[in-house]
Amino acid sequence: MRTTRRSFIKVSALAGGGLMMAISVPGSAALNRLLKEGESQLNNFLSIDTAGNIIFTLTKHEMGQGSGTGLPMILADELGADWSKISLVRSAYDPKFTSREMGTTGGSSTIDKMWDILRTAGATAREMLKQTAANRWNANTDDLVVDNGVITNPSTDESYTFGELASEAATLDVPDNPPLKEPKDYKYIGQSIKNLITPEVVSGKANYGINVDIDDMVHASIERCPVYKGRLVGFDDSEAREVAGVIDVIAVPQMTGVIEEHHVQAGVAVIARNTWSAIKARKKLRINWDNGDTTDQNLNDLAARMEQKALETEKPVFEKGDYASLKNQDGVEVFQAIYDNPYQAHALMEPINATAHYKADQCEVWVGTQSGERVNNEVVKLTGLSVDQIKINVFNSGGSFGRRFYADSAMEAVYLSMQVQKPVKVTWTREDEIAHDYFHPYQKSIFEAVISEEKKVVGWHSSISRTEGYHSGSQPWEIPYHFENIRTYFEQEPSIVHVGAWRSVAEHSSSLGRESFIDELALKLGQNPLDLRLALLDQPLNRIGTDSFADRVYNYQSLLQSRYLEVLQTVKEKSWYQSAQEPEKGVGLAVENFGRTVCAHVVELTMNNNTYNGFVIDKVRSVVHCGTVVNPHFGRGQIEGSIIFALSALQYGGVEVERGRVMRSNFHDNRLVRIDEVPDMEVHFVPSNDPPNGLGEPGTPPLAPAVLNALYAASGVRVRKIPVLKEDLVREPQAV
Amino acid sequence: MASFQLQVNGRQHTVDVDADTPLLWVLRDELKLNGTKYGCGIAQCGACTVHIDGMPIRACCFPIGKLAGKNVTTIEGLSVHDDHPVQLAWQEIDVPQCGYCQTGQIMTAAALLDRNPDPSDECILRAMKGNLCRCGTYPRIKNAIKEAAQTKMS
Repeated sequence: MRTTRRSFIKVSALAGGGLMMAISVPGSAALNRLLKEGESQLNNFLSIDTAGNIIFTLTKHEMGQGSGTGLPMILADELGADWSKISLVRSAYDPKFTSREMGTTGGSSTIDKMWDILRTAGATAREMLKQTAANRWNANTDDLVVDNGVITNPSTDESYTFGELASEAATLDVPDNPPLKEPKDYKYIGQSIKNLITPEVVSGKANYGINVDIDDMVHASIERCPVYKGRLVGFDDSEAREVAGVIDVIAVPQMTGVIEEHHVQAGVAVIARNTWSAIKARKKLRINWDNGDTTDQNLNDLAARMEQKALETEKPVFEKGDYASLKNQDGVEVFQAIYDNPYQAHALMEPINATAHYKADQCEVWVGTQSGERVNNEVVKLTGLSVDQIKINVFNSGGSFGRRFYADSAMEAVYLSMQVQKPVKVTWTREDEIAHDYFHPYQKSIFEAVISEEKKVVGWHSSISRTEGYHSGSQPWEIPYHFENIRTYFEQEPSIVHVGAWRSVAEHSSSLGRESFIDELALKLGQNPLDLRLALLDQPLNRIGTDSFADRVYNYQSLLQSRYLEVLQTVKEKSWYQSAQEPEKGVGLAVENFGRTVCAHVVELTMNNNTYNGFVIDKVRSVVHCGTVVNPHFGRGQIEGSIIFALSALQYGGVEVERGRVMRSNFHDNRLVRIDEVPDMEVHFVPSNDPPNGLGEPGTPPLAPAVLNALYAASGVRVRKIPVLKEDLVREPQAV
Repeated sequence: MASFQLQVNGRQHTVDVDADTPLLWVLRDELKLNGTKYGCGIAQCGACTVHIDGMPIRACCFPIGKLAGKNVTTIEGLSVHDDHPVQLAWQEIDVPQCGYCQTGQIMTAAALLDRNPDPSDECILRAMKGNLCRCGTYPRIKNAIKEAAQTKMS
């Protein structure tokens, strides 16, 4: 094995011939520690065998965002590989990989986090292969050409394939700073390479956690307490046990994980020889629940409490200038609006599931998860086993959108396997998935502005109350617009259902109010909403502090500012945001960032009382700045998918809760947008050679406010909530 | 439990299940044909779509007891080499994101093209609106069906 002290890349001989590469991000001691234990312990991140076959280990979760193709594209590009020689192995959870590669797949951060690692890994292997060829030819590496898995010496026309060089390359020293390609030389990056999962999807052979089939496996279906955090008092399972195929009936206690947000609702599990018997028998259970304190809770009460809290709060989290005294000055106008952003269900297509096999000294889990690390940590706690006795097999997911960030179904499966001493597969029904979701948090947002006598916005106040239990990285005071006086209040209220991460997390909640309110202000001031946004964005940034952290914050804000401006200027140049000329039609705009990616949507709609919602979305046009677009087909797909995802929330979303019970159960009452409701969509990416940023979530937040703004333009009715129902669009009778 | 015979993808199978067991769970749990997906159990999402005597049917609501004498085709039996025009078009357009709903989408689309080799946009939307896709690949599904129709016609 050859390595240099500073390198985070270790290269060794591949068993059977060829080259194997292990990686570890700088700053992490994981690999250096493992090096002492011998090379067989290395994480096999990339290998090239003597036939030139390249195997890339996918450590990130594939849940429809394209990581399993986008990541190897970056690697293959830098390596100079032949794409057809690339194949993938999906890594089980493996502590040999650091949490950067393996901990969590979420926050639209996969491409972002892996870009440097993959390019450096690809460049390192390429340089070692080149050096091997150069040694054989007694040539200079600078004179050699690498393309499509072949290294050529143009002066002699000699060439070697990667496979012919790999074994010898593995014996060389690892270069410290291999040169990286210039964007103009990219071969795969920026191309719509086809998704590697597509062939197995269309053949029906694609494997998901719900397909897991282990010898001697039994099936579980769990009836859970209908009220959040209610408890099991007792149950009568005599009728359930009479159902053919039933093996056992077992109580599942309420469980809280190592991580508090991992909540397992108390329930009763029917264990059967097949899924249907378990589902059927479960309906015959007679269960006595202690529904607890939440049983008298209705959604409307929660909403009222949250609004009151947001109105009365005096808990500042951010202040700049002096909003309070500004507000009391003579001659100013204070304008306030309250926005409602309710719970939302994930409704991912593959229902939640997990399979576990616990034996006395080992435990194996099979699950589609965004965090094998979280599952692993919970299994350690539940079983008392050590990490090396546990294996977490990670499967591609049939959608996740934040839901499979949590380890709850794996906890259920492990618990039940410990009870029955067999492999147990827990399959949630759709009704389970809707009623016991980790819902998008409820948020009430109050926005207030102080308008001077000169008709300028001089003060900006926001007061947010959100159900507690889930936080994202973004904070309510992080707004891109500049005001002299800003005041932000933030309150939390205990939730009446379990909450968690839902595609675009807090940005979805916060964007609705902010981007609606900016529009309301513009119209109040008689200004064009696009121009007002540009004016409020295009102001000098203040650097706060002088240390390196201040530099990072300043650089981040500068990048965001320039991207917001570029995105909105593109909307303007394309003349996409023009008032509708026909009656009953409206155009609306909103813009939001998710991390470093900025996305604007321009929505065109027509009022139509013959539809469920009272309007039809005709067209959505989007401008997105995410740096380099690694795969435009995937990129467009993520933005289109986000628009449709957000439209479902806007048209049919929200989750009614009465007496502590979720009042939705399946796709008939938790409706999703269908193919005949999809608007025309056009996505424009701002050309950029910046490193790539995420695209899974940024298209979701600005959709709802863009629609609300368009609805106002079309109807004169200002709706400040989602879902938008026909009754929200009733117009004031016109004076004759 | 009782013994049931069924014809799936041209092969005869015997399973020992309750008469009310939906075809979906027979396919998945007994025959290990996992290409047919569970999505809702109430015929609202289309993930479990199979062909019964050529018609697109939601397997989650079709009890095994009513299957006697009928021929079932699942995604695994749609073509021998995964080269049905709809499967090829799905690859050409590169439709899937997570892929979970796509086998049901493909089965519904294949049945549509059998009935109507050159469907209008309106026909496509009407035929496909029973199939949900949470990833939002709908525009690509529509394009793939048009692509498949063209391939079939030529």
